[in-house]
Amino acid sequence: MHFHQILLFIIHKINGQRSENAPFYLLKGKKSGQTIQDVTYFQLHAFFSILPRLLKEDYDTALHELFKSEFIHLKDSLVYITEKGIDALPSNQKTLFNGWQYRGREQLFWKRIDLVVQTLSQFQANEKKFVPNQKDIATQQFIKDFLIEHNFRQFNLNNDLKREIFQLLESPFLDDLHRIIFVYRLSGHNKTGLTWEQLARYSHLTDMNTKIIFLECLHNMLDNISSETSPLLFDLAKDIYINTPLTESAFKTSRLFEKGYTMEEIAKIRKLKINTIEDHVIEIVSSNKDFPISSFISREQEEKILHLSNELRTKKLTLIKNHLPDVSYFQVRLALTKGEQNHG
Amino acid sequence: MDKLNEILQKKFGHANFRAGQQEIIEQIIQEKDVIAILPTGMGKSLLYQLPAYMMEGTVIIVSPLLSLMQDQVEQLKILGEKRVIAINSFLSFQEKEMAIRHLDYYKFIFTSPEMLQNEQFNLALRNLSIAYVVADEAHCISQWGFDFRPDYLRISGWLRSMKPLNVLALTATATSEVVDDIKKTLRMKRPFEYIHSLDRPAIAYEMVEVENQQQKLKWILGRVTSTEGPGIIYTQSRKKTETYTALLREQGISVGFYHAKMEQSDRILIQQQFQQGHLEWICATNAFGMGIHKDNIRQIIHDHIPTSVAGYMQEVGRAARDGKQAIASLLYTPTDVEQTFYVAMQDFPEEQDIQIAYQPEYAGVEQAETTTRILTYWKERLNEQETIELFKEIKQKKWKDIQKFYTIIRNDNCLRQQLLHYFDQTLLEKPTYCCSKCKLDITSILRKRTDEKSNKEEMNWKKRLNFLLQS
Repeated sequence: MHFHQILLFIIHKINGQRSENAPFYLLKGKKSGQTIQDVTYFQLHAFFSILPRLLKEDYDTALHELFKSEFIHLKDSLVYITEKGIDALPSNQKTLFNGWQYRGREQLFWKRIDLVVQTLSQFQANEKKFVPNQKDIATQQFIKDFLIEHNFRQFNLNNDLKREIFQLLESPFLDDLHRIIFVYRLSGHNKTGLTWEQLARYSHLTDMNTKIIFLECLHNMLDNISSETSPLLFDLAKDIYINTPLTESAFKTSRLFEKGYTMEEIAKIRKLKINTIEDHVIEIVSSNKDFPISSFISREQEEKILHLSNELRTKKLTLIKNHLPDVSYFQVRLALTKGEQNHG
Repeated sequence: MDKLNEILQKKFGHANFRAGQQEIIEQIIQEKDVIAILPTGMGKSLLYQLPAYMMEGTVIIVSPLLSLMQDQVEQLKILGEKRVIAINSFLSFQEKEMAIRHLDYYKFIFTSPEMLQNEQFNLALRNLSIAYVVADEAHCISQWGFDFRPDYLRISGWLRSMKPLNVLALTATATSEVVDDIKKTLRMKRPFEYIHSLDRPAIAYEMVEVENQQQKLKWILGRVTSTEGPGIIYTQSRKKTETYTALLREQGISVGFYHAKMEQSDRILIQQQFQQGHLEWICATNAFGMGIHKDNIRQIIHDHIPTSVAGYMQEVGRAARDGKQAIASLLYTPTDVEQTFYVAMQDFPEEQDIQIAYQPEYAGVEQAETTTRILTYWKERLNEQETIELFKEIKQKKWKDIQKFYTIIRNDNCLRQQLLHYFDQTLLEKPTYCCSKCKLDITSILRKRTDEKSNKEEMNWKKRLNFLLQS
């Protein structure tokens, strides 16, 4: 998927219910209650936090281009997809991203692969002194430990690692462009990886789309790593998969819920506003559908909200809330989040 | 064999010292303050590395350039030294804590002037046995120097706060004025001074006056497509590095660009590609060159007048490290000198900025980062009027310097001689290939480009991966 296609896809999902900046925050991985709940409402987990370094000006330019091509339109600061836009949606809607799961940690995985391949390649050529591509101490230490643990002097890791990488790259979801960009970004003895600009020129893409394709490749590889079929890469992906994809703050709140504290008590203990704790609840429910919500909302209220949302074909809070004066905004958000969880 | 030579061979793999090295090293071991000026590529690093193995304690190397620090650490590691670390803002909080707790493990500690202000770090340093302190790129200490770093001046206060320490000041370029500043700031006691000739006989100089920017481009295209590199084209804007690259590429030249706005990972790759010879030419801003280890650069082209003679010498000095003939060409138009002054003054505070800086509510005012940094430093030391005067003086000096450079470029006298005079040195022997004012036969220096090197190699990921991880 290219950048414009990603934007169009997201806008298609949030059609008319969110502002033109919502996709920006989603792609950047903004950790606000609104963005995190939208991920679940609109089933956009794949795209969360995939472009943490996206610049607003680049985003605005792309949005403007979609606008000029009449793929989207804006009304009352809400963004809509047009008929023409729907036709332009990527035919294959299967995305390779898994942003909600990795949240930028795939870059850590990349740094390790880059350094381990470079090191093994140089050692194979009997070159023990080389300038590492990766400069940070944590990555260097990780690879040092990894190599020692796998007894690389005695056993030749090159073949095994190569086999594992080959196997993952041959995934039917990837195409040759993914494979070329991934492999040619790597360095080794007498071969230096290519810059984004160089890769982009080869593939007739923009720098940004080249990076996006690279990211798809990383996410797809990570999705398919297992300790049985790719034990070396599994070790290299240590701490990349985490069980709870919660933000740190939401995680602390969830621990307190587990201990039986109420929302008010938690707010007091953590010296946070109730609003923030509410955001945390939404986040917790987004990632754990078994989290009990009966203390925040009755079964009846929940059903009413979902029913109304269906009937009005909307996820706009104000609209729903206006019909149901007895429920709070928080309850509307909660019900919608839970509702999507049950579908998804 | 004496101990020094033994270490030189065993640790560093050199058979002999280069001119001056042994003398300087002996002075350091005898616990003298030393100030050493020698051109880049003349083995400066060895001067602070070797004595460490003859002395007890840790060596502290203060360097104002973070990117350079990284490179120096890597070079020591390549020599097999594990007890080396850079303590700077690149480290995470935990890494810093960890390093500071185990400070005495390290033989070499690289750090920045800013880090020396860190209380916790200082506490640990006071308990450390220090062999000597190295001030690298010491010319940055001097406000007259071409890349003055006000933070570097703080090293003076730091030295005062420590037990008396021996200092080794290293630089590749310094006028006598700058040398005086260095001595004063580093509180040196009658230091041993070693000044190597800054002349690089293997580099010929060529000054080319053209009428306009268009002709510069034409000249560069002509030169690069007809002669051989490897070479660097220095230009002043990021955009130009990219335009030059695109135009040269069209001519089948293997070329890449480099500037500070690129991602760090890409910068590392470009540097590697150039060092390994995959790229023949680099179009770069002055961000390129620090820590380049490439011996066979044959051409340096400037499409502008650099903002200082010292900066120019440093950029040109990256050529001919292998001692074989190279050429440095500088293209200019008669109006370039104003442009250069403008560039040089870009980060300089105006009188207005200084007045703002002395207002009580200064903290909230937005200014360019360098401006704020410089002014914050001087505000602690001078009053408003004095600061205004100081910057007037520095500005005038700068203008005079650029004018002087321009005169050197334009008059009929030998360039080599004049460049050395600028640093209060004299030329002892003129090489055969001297400069465009001494009847230079360029064709006998430059090799004609012969083969059409078009590495339009098909990309094959399987082949590449097999190569990378062959067994």
